Amino acid sequence: MLRIEGLSVRYGAVEALQDVSFEAADGVITTVLGANGAGKTTLLRTLSGLVRSREGTATFDGQQLIGKDPETIARMGIAHVPEGRGVIAELTVADNLRLGMLYRVPRPERRAAIDEIYGLFPPLEARRHQLAATLSGGERQMLVIGRAIVSRPRLLLLDEPSLGLAPIVTAQTMATIRELTSRQGIGTVLVEQNARSALSVAHWAIVLNLGRVVLADKPERLATDAHLRHHYLGF
Amino acid sequence: MGFFVDVLLSGVTQGMVFAAIALGLVLISRATGVINFGQGAMGMFTTFLAYSLLEQGIGYWPAFVAALAIGFVFGALVERTLMRPLLGTSPLNPVIVTIGLLVVLEGVAGSIWGNTARKFPAGFSQRGLVIGTTRVAFSPFDVFIVAAVLVLVTAIVVLFRWTDVGLRMRAAAFSPEVARLLGVRVSRLFILGWALACGAGSLAALLVAPLSSFSPYYMDLNLIYGFVAAVLGGLVSPLGALLGGLVTGLAISFAGGYIGSDVEPMAALVLLLIVLMARPQGLFGGTMARRV
Amino acid sequence: MTSTAPPPVGDLSPAPSPLHRLARSAERVHLPPQPLVRNLIFFVFGCAFFYVLTVSVSAYNDFQIGQIALYAVVLAGLSLLTGLNGQFSLGHGAFMIIGAYALALLQVHSPMNLALELVLATAVAAVAGVVVGVPAARLSPPYLAGVTLLLALGLPQLSAQYGSVFGGEQGLTTTPPIAPGSISSEQWLAWIEVLCALVVILLLANLVRSRFGRNFRAVRDDEVAAAVAGIHVARTKVLAFAISAGCAGLGGALLALSTGVVNVGEFPLSLSIALLAAMVLGGAGSLVGIWWGAIALVYMPTWSTSLSKQLSLGTSASAYLSDAIFGVVLIAVILVAPTGIQGGVRWLLRRLWVAITGRGSAGAAGARAGPLGPGSGAGSAPGAGPLAAAEVAASGDGVPPAVGGGPRTTRVPDDRRPGTGTPAADVAETRQGGERS
Repeated sequence: MLRIEGLSVRYGAVEALQDVSFEAADGVITTVLGANGAGKTTLLRTLSGLVRSREGTATFDGQQLIGKDPETIARMGIAHVPEGRGVIAELTVADNLRLGMLYRVPRPERRAAIDEIYGLFPPLEARRHQLAATLSGGERQMLVIGRAIVSRPRLLLLDEPSLGLAPIVTAQTMATIRELTSRQGIGTVLVEQNARSALSVAHWAIVLNLGRVVLADKPERLATDAHLRHHYLGF
Repeated sequence: MGFFVDVLLSGVTQGMVFAAIALGLVLISRATGVINFGQGAMGMFTTFLAYSLLEQGIGYWPAFVAALAIGFVFGALVERTLMRPLLGTSPLNPVIVTIGLLVVLEGVAGSIWGNTARKFPAGFSQRGLVIGTTRVAFSPFDVFIVAAVLVLVTAIVVLFRWTDVGLRMRAAAFSPEVARLLGVRVSRLFILGWALACGAGSLAALLVAPLSSFSPYYMDLNLIYGFVAAVLGGLVSPLGALLGGLVTGLAISFAGGYIGSDVEPMAALVLLLIVLMARPQGLFGGTMARRV
Repeated sequence: MTSTAPPPVGDLSPAPSPLHRLARSAERVHLPPQPLVRNLIFFVFGCAFFYVLTVSVSAYNDFQIGQIALYAVVLAGLSLLTGLNGQFSLGHGAFMIIGAYALALLQVHSPMNLALELVLATAVAAVAGVVVGVPAARLSPPYLAGVTLLLALGLPQLSAQYGSVFGGEQGLTTTPPIAPGSISSEQWLAWIEVLCALVVILLLANLVRSRFGRNFRAVRDDEVAAAVAGIHVARTKVLAFAISAGCAGLGGALLALSTGVVNVGEFPLSLSIALLAAMVLGGAGSLVGIWWGAIALVYMPTWSTSLSKQLSLGTSASAYLSDAIFGVVLIAVILVAPTGIQGGVRWLLRRLWVAITGRGSAGAAGARAGPLGPGSGAGSAPGAGPLAAAEVAASGDGVPPAVGGGPRTTRVPDDRRPGTGTPAADVAETRQGGERS
């Protein structure tokens, strides 16, 4: 269970997040929606320790996240899949996956864990010895999600997993995320600009606008409320 | 014919030294984008320390190992104190600081040990081997140089390819932020990278010192030849550094043997410019685009 | 500018009224608005200052003033290259060699008017600058450093290889200019050198304000953006390199003239590095700061000799000590005070101006602090280094200051915390967010 209370972040004079509070339960997808500049990416970067907050707390299963460095937070089992540039292009597919396991999976179990990912994403197995630079956009997305999952996370922070993907690939990715979340009982915070597809898989939705939480509700309600959609989600 | 073989063999020996220097430059450059122009001077300094140990009556091999260890620690210290504060600023700043380090170390070494040309002992005989009936310009010590550098390069390759630490180092070098998000303590690996690099630099300095006389400035040209070798090798892989070192060593040896030793640096400059213009990714670099 | 309600009629207090503000802003530009005119005024002042200085000190001091002036010429070019164009050279000693030998060879083979000889020596070095600059234009600073370092190491050895032309170890001799009338030769030489320095600085100060200067800065700040804006990036960089090499050549020629001999032993690698250190010390990109650097170059041997005496290090150590001090200066300036001495001076002057007048018109102080063109601003973050601040500086706002940012530079949020992410990425994020939302 991720619990965020009164989180505020500023870049110089710009208030990126103001008094953000919400909870993300285990086993469900909590999606964070909003326009560009709403503070979605900042929120994830703050949770994973890359950005320092000014005020507020964020705890995961009772453990404070604020003030810890990204490495410690990652080793706690919080897997942050950053937007767009998550693969290490100069490493092979297999090495990228191995990196996910370094701190969370004991050596004897690694082979089985990696094979599990290949089972989930067969195209990765075919390209296991290729440099990640040679992968297509969809394959890269598989790789970063696979690398997050192979680390046996307790909390997944996904930043725009649908960015630049074809609609059909987006749908597949979303389905995979939903299946994993409920099957493994991990909490998932899904940041998306593509509100339509995010709402279709999420169990709970938060809307950010200019750094503030303006709405927290069931996705079905958001999807049907034309006023909200028009104002915050743009569809 | 004999002359040709001698030039060839001395090119190989020199090339191995350049390869070790290039390896040190590559280790740092690919992790942080910094060319450590202070590396030669750091090697020079540790060699002078080894020389002082020898004068104290400590044996060659203990002094040799001690110098390597000092170089290793020295590299870690430099990263921690001088490079860390400049992380994330213009890439020019760390380069200027390493140049500052170069002159500081040469100045300090000169103040302590003076500019008299000294002879550093070799671990093995420096008399050329006899093959058939002719004596060639390749001594048991040259064999040691080649072997030591090959062992070094192999060890680095094994470290990078087959160990977790190596994987972490590669991840930290190529994509520090992603590596941190995966739990890799990037800053520690930068320290390790600098330590390994300066260890390699010290090895090169110890190996090249007995080949001629040594003074506070003896690593200047060697460093810059190592830089040429590193650029030839593409500045990313240890194997590229090895091959780049060999090509540079041979080019310089032949230029020196057939034109005159004074044109060696300009020959290296011409070689460097040709490579940078025609193949910026290096002679042995992969397809990965690199901005030079 | 936000306007407040006008004060009631008859109120004579100096409360800010719109009219008052207007008067103040007029006051701010009390210097001649034409940079050329302003630079010429400073040029004349400079001539007068040095004239008074040279006639009132001893012959030996005149010699030293001349040395300072000739190093100022070299540093002006180097400062322009690094501060304004973002390029980097470790090999300016090599261009000094070229200028020096060009002058000596001219004097040996076809002596002519001294001014013409100096111009030709400058031209030869500038052409050499083009030869190096063409490949250099494609290289980023670390590679450029390597290439120029190799040049500084390799070029001197050619004179040994081709001894018949360059005189080998002994080098060549030059003919010192004959002083007219009762003027001492040291004084005459100092005048020539000072005049060269002031003319070079005058030309560069105008260049900085010209289209070329804007192009230099645009290329420094963002090559891609400059190219998109129609600036020929490679040509601009080669031009900057050539000008800079020409300055070094002129400095080398003047050095050859003042010492009477040219030999490569005078231009070791440590000279090239000392030049870089002096430039950084003065403040990269500042045409005023170069004088600090030049003074340091000329007096460092004296200082280090006395320091080595105090430390009782023996006489041979002093030369090494001077190198070591330059190295320490280089490291310390980059780590602690990236805008150099002139940055600090500027900061002090601005503080003083605010304290005296009680007005926060930093712009006026900035314009006053630097005779002959813009200097480096003092407002940059510590530890940012000569170029980092320049990268942060917003370009194209009409008055882009030289390296170091300046009074009117808008700073992007600075969260350069060691060990927390890449600040650039955060900054980019806020910027993009601001644009798109």
